[in-house]
Amino acid sequence: MKLTITTAQALLKNKNQLFLAAILLSLTLLTPCFSLAQQPAAQAQKDSEIIAIVGAKIVPVTGPVIESGSILIKNGRIADLGPNISIPAGAKVIEAKGLTAYPGMIDSYSWLGLEEISGVRATVDNRETGRINPQVKAIEALRYDSMHIPIARANGIVAAVVAPSGGLISGQSTLVKLDGWTNREMVIKESLAMIIELPAIRRSRGGFSGFRGQQPQVTTEKTLDELRQVFKKARMYEKRREAARKNILLPLPEFDEASHFLLPVVKGELPVIFSVHADKDILQTIKFVQEEKIKAIFYGVEQGFKVAKEIKEAGIPCLMGSLYSLPPVWEDGYDALFLNPVILNQAGVKIAFSSSSASAAKDLPYQAAKAAAFGLKPEEALKAVTIYPAEIFGVDKLLGSLEPGKTANIVLADGDLLELGTKIQKVFIDGKEVSLENRYTELLKKFEQREANK
Amino acid sequence: MNKSLKKRQPVFIRALAPTLLGLVLIASLFFPLSARAGSPEVKPAYALVNCRIFPVAQPVIEKGTIVVRDGLIEAVGPAAKVKIPEDAEIIEASGLTAYPGLISAHTNLFLETKEQAQPPSTPEDYLAAYTQPAEPKELPWLKIIEKLKPKKETVEAYHKTGITTVVVAPSEGIFEGQSVILNLNGDEINGMVLTQPWALHLNFTTERRVYPSSPMGTLAFIRQKFYDTQHYSQHLQKYRQSPQLLRRPEYDPFLEALLPYVVDKKTIVFQCNNLEEIKRALKIIKEFQLKAVLTGCNEAWRVSQDLKSANIPFLVTLDFRPPNSSVYAQEGQAAREKAEKEIYPANASNLAKEKINFSLTSFGLSESNFIKNLRLAIQAGLPTDQALRSLTIEPARTLGLEKQLGSLEPGKIANLILTKGELFDEKTKIVKVMVDGTLFSYEEKGQ
Amino acid sequence: MTRKLKKTGLIISLSFLILFLLSATWLLAGGDLLIKNATILTVTGGVITNGDVLVVNGLIKQIGQNLAAPAGVRIIEANGRYLMPGIIDTHTHIALSGTNEGTDAVTPEVTMAEVVNADDTSIFTALSGGVTMVHTMHGSANVIGGTNVVLKLKWGKPSEQLIVKEAYPTLKFALGENVKQSSGTLLPGRPQRYPATRMGANALIRSELLQARDYMAAWDRYEELKKSKNPPANLLPPRKDLRLETLADLLRGKLVARCHGYVATEMLEFLNLSKEFGFKIGAFEHAWEAYKITNELKAAGVGISVFIDSWAYKMEAAEGIAYNAAYCTKKGLLVSINSDSGERIRRLFNEAGKAVKYGLTRDEALKLITINAAKQLGVDRLVGSIEVGKQADLALFSQHPMSAYTRCEMTIIEGEVYFDREALIKERAAASTKKGDLS
Repeated sequence: MKLTITTAQALLKNKNQLFLAAILLSLTLLTPCFSLAQQPAAQAQKDSEIIAIVGAKIVPVTGPVIESGSILIKNGRIADLGPNISIPAGAKVIEAKGLTAYPGMIDSYSWLGLEEISGVRATVDNRETGRINPQVKAIEALRYDSMHIPIARANGIVAAVVAPSGGLISGQSTLVKLDGWTNREMVIKESLAMIIELPAIRRSRGGFSGFRGQQPQVTTEKTLDELRQVFKKARMYEKRREAARKNILLPLPEFDEASHFLLPVVKGELPVIFSVHADKDILQTIKFVQEEKIKAIFYGVEQGFKVAKEIKEAGIPCLMGSLYSLPPVWEDGYDALFLNPVILNQAGVKIAFSSSSASAAKDLPYQAAKAAAFGLKPEEALKAVTIYPAEIFGVDKLLGSLEPGKTANIVLADGDLLELGTKIQKVFIDGKEVSLENRYTELLKKFEQREANK
Repeated sequence: MNKSLKKRQPVFIRALAPTLLGLVLIASLFFPLSARAGSPEVKPAYALVNCRIFPVAQPVIEKGTIVVRDGLIEAVGPAAKVKIPEDAEIIEASGLTAYPGLISAHTNLFLETKEQAQPPSTPEDYLAAYTQPAEPKELPWLKIIEKLKPKKETVEAYHKTGITTVVVAPSEGIFEGQSVILNLNGDEINGMVLTQPWALHLNFTTERRVYPSSPMGTLAFIRQKFYDTQHYSQHLQKYRQSPQLLRRPEYDPFLEALLPYVVDKKTIVFQCNNLEEIKRALKIIKEFQLKAVLTGCNEAWRVSQDLKSANIPFLVTLDFRPPNSSVYAQEGQAAREKAEKEIYPANASNLAKEKINFSLTSFGLSESNFIKNLRLAIQAGLPTDQALRSLTIEPARTLGLEKQLGSLEPGKIANLILTKGELFDEKTKIVKVMVDGTLFSYEEKGQ
Repeated sequence: MTRKLKKTGLIISLSFLILFLLSATWLLAGGDLLIKNATILTVTGGVITNGDVLVVNGLIKQIGQNLAAPAGVRIIEANGRYLMPGIIDTHTHIALSGTNEGTDAVTPEVTMAEVVNADDTSIFTALSGGVTMVHTMHGSANVIGGTNVVLKLKWGKPSEQLIVKEAYPTLKFALGENVKQSSGTLLPGRPQRYPATRMGANALIRSELLQARDYMAAWDRYEELKKSKNPPANLLPPRKDLRLETLADLLRGKLVARCHGYVATEMLEFLNLSKEFGFKIGAFEHAWEAYKITNELKAAGVGISVFIDSWAYKMEAAEGIAYNAAYCTKKGLLVSINSDSGERIRRLFNEAGKAVKYGLTRDEALKLITINAAKQLGVDRLVGSIEVGKQADLALFSQHPMSAYTRCEMTIIEGEVYFDREALIKERAAASTKKGDLS
């Protein structure tokens, strides 16, 4: 709290006072619940300041590893990097000997900012009621000061897809950087992709057959038929609206919410992230995507390995669901989820890993390493949390690797980025060093004092 | 037992004669086959001649005669050695084979099957189902005989499988209640009774929303009830000895019902739906020194050594579906189907290989599935003579009726079946069935 | 001629019989193995590179270099891969037919050892992550649950052969949100179960234990009267009550409490109850706020069995910090990492590996799932490290087990191989060629 206020005072000079008052007020309101989940502010820096990270091992991801080199940051961008960079006078030098510089990681599917404590409904904002909700936008509920964000950041994650879930059309996901004073300040792509959730694989194993288990199983085939109708209606709606706009004598059709918000999808402007799982369902969805001429990304894809060739031919990238689950079908083998990304990657499918979580968003690097343990090349594992997601989401000009001109999202680690024991020493987002303090470190500090006082 | 029945009959008739007469008249109009209640029926003496005989207790007789009189077998033997009585109605049975009537020592015959409560499908139903007060189904005092409504069609359907004697057991709750042994001689319940009650039936199931709701809770619940029965009995005994200065034990219908089984060691039947339940039952039986029988047991081969050393009689259902707990049910649909086709049908033959005695039952199966699965068990290696024994003399022993049933021997009850072809062959038809000396004919037209 | 043939036939079949009997006894006695050229993480005795481990009759006979295999003993070539003691999970609910007897808040009469399901495929899943032993427990629906059981994951063996009789007998307690049923929906017409507060939970435990004391006294009085010269005519033994029997065993010190607790207050108050009644606490389960009360836990000698960083799933887990395990270890508490899940169990080594990030060395982190866990379960003289004389429960990993890039290759219990990835892959390949499956 103290830190926040000081930083706030520092900012008071050049920022709108009213705005700050609002922030302070909201902070005070949130204090009882989340006093420790404060937003570590970007350190005040002059835009023109040059930062030089020197003596680091550099893993640019898109180029060869530089055993020892420097990175120059200017205006939030990487100005230059290499083994022999001359450091301009007046540059703020960050000595990084013994550290490795990586591009910050991108979580391809998360609930960061939409879910604080999963068991407390008041803190959960990721599932709207109902089945067809293209109108809801993750960005509009995103809690910029979620306690999970600084923790994810302290593990080297700098950007994340935040996705709504539930129902059939869950809403619009967003791509954000993990820094900002408001939800809007975090935006990289406000509306990234529509989330559509197709039926899950019915587990062959028993388990708790509660109320949910008794719901009749809807097939993917039927669900896709339903979607066809919804899309068709949206096209028809647009056609009539367009005609009415041109011809005042034609009546304007009544407002149709679903059709209205699905327009960018049916026009092929907004991609759809399809949550799709079984091999047969994947094939049907490929067909659907091709017929409907929409941009698609697959998510989940647990049985993708069985149809890797077809996915590759369709050119659809795949976001892995959490590998922290059991294979939905016993016959696939105990390691099916671990081998899935390996096989997809070998087949030439573009893959990216995800945490599929808020509280476990920090585990993104370990998801990638898990696949590496089962045969994915470590370089590919690293790409699947950096440049591949950047490419999949169309932000590879700015994110996903260390290259001159790209946004300076840089992580300095004391070891391999995906390794469990590695400690992240510094994180830069948009060229600014961000605080690595978080709820863990703050609570630890607080109770270390108890020991110290004894 | 038989004596007391005979004694009671006249009193019974005197009291109810007018009504009964009317009932009998009406009944005889509709059910010509039914054994007539109350009035000692004069049945013909039969001589089944020229048939092949599987007496079970003795070697096969290639061409023999069976004489039946007053519901009992009078003589069995080769044609040359058995004299046909003058008054006997001769049944020409050349080309037919005679076997003792089969015994299924566990069925739910004649039970009004309640509509299986459908799981709630709407939130409203769900709420309703969960807000109704939960009630346990524990009714150890239940005598299933009181719930039975014998039906001619069911009797006939059973006859066609060769079954002439059944145990009818209750089927709900953990302490399910008390079973009865019936001869399928008609549809008049009292005339069918062989033993009433036979045994107390226990199932390791769980209650919904009331204690016990888990397998471990069920075990604790059963044990506690057994301990309580012992204590109750001790208390009653003490009270009888010195009623002064002792608080009288409070009447407890639950424990009263258990007294004959836990203290006086009448038979308790444990339903064992998987191998672990067999082990659990054996443990409890040993702990409380019970007289017990196991039933279900379609995973018996997996615990054959335990069963062998425990030496507790057990009944094996021909239901081949792997229990949910089994590994075969967890490894996917294909594995489950394979197990049902290949592994579980070999249960009986595996037991036979280890020289373990058991009885087969039709529990959980329709009549047609019983026959079908019996043949599958034989295909899986169960020798036919073993199959026959496990449906005749073995269950007769387990039911304490080995002197009356289970083989074709003079003096035993005339329960027998006549088949065209060997009993377990695919095309074999059962053409005649005799139960308690009453003859039922099932020859199809054109035969 | 024919007689002679018969005789030879007899001899042959007899020798086969003898061979069969010999091999059968060999099986019964536990496995013999020689693991060669491994990087041995002994846990208690440092790291041995290029080391061999000789297993005879299921026990570790020799650890060293260039050991020779006795004739006929299977040799496993480790090729420098990492051999560690089998992983021990101190808190799971796998391999059971049932988790909670949730209809009553107090059910110590139920016994998890009686509902072990050796057919549960979770056993295989756990083996695939190098786990050889689990403390499988009653759930946390009740303030006082049932008695738990420790199992060795001998996949394919009958349930009774899985039970580790040498382990501490433990009784499950639970506090906080689960027993308050605070996340459940209250249905109209159904009263909320007592206790609905942490006050109630503590009060309930106290009352139950007071009752157990009375129960013990009643039996003592009965025994005394029975032994007296003139026992009263109306003397009747007390009713045997399985619930109170178990609680009496706790008070007699025959059972150790394992208490599910999250927040500092409830753990402190449970410590107070244990002092009040003189019962032993084996460990606190989950113990998310243990870092706040390390002094008290240390003084009481009570360890914790925790997640590394699975948190914020309910209110009482919202102050669960990933530093908990490492910090408490440094403060001298006995800490183990558990899975509490049929899925997380197969990556328990990854969970322990995270402790390195939060301040432990790899060697220290490894202890969280081996020797520390063994100590908490009372089996550290049998398992938990690679030492001569201990049971050969071992796991072979492709890389250091505390690395994110590692994979379990083989899991061995008492010298018998229960999981072998290489063999499994061969089987798969064979099956797919048989099927004509080209994928």
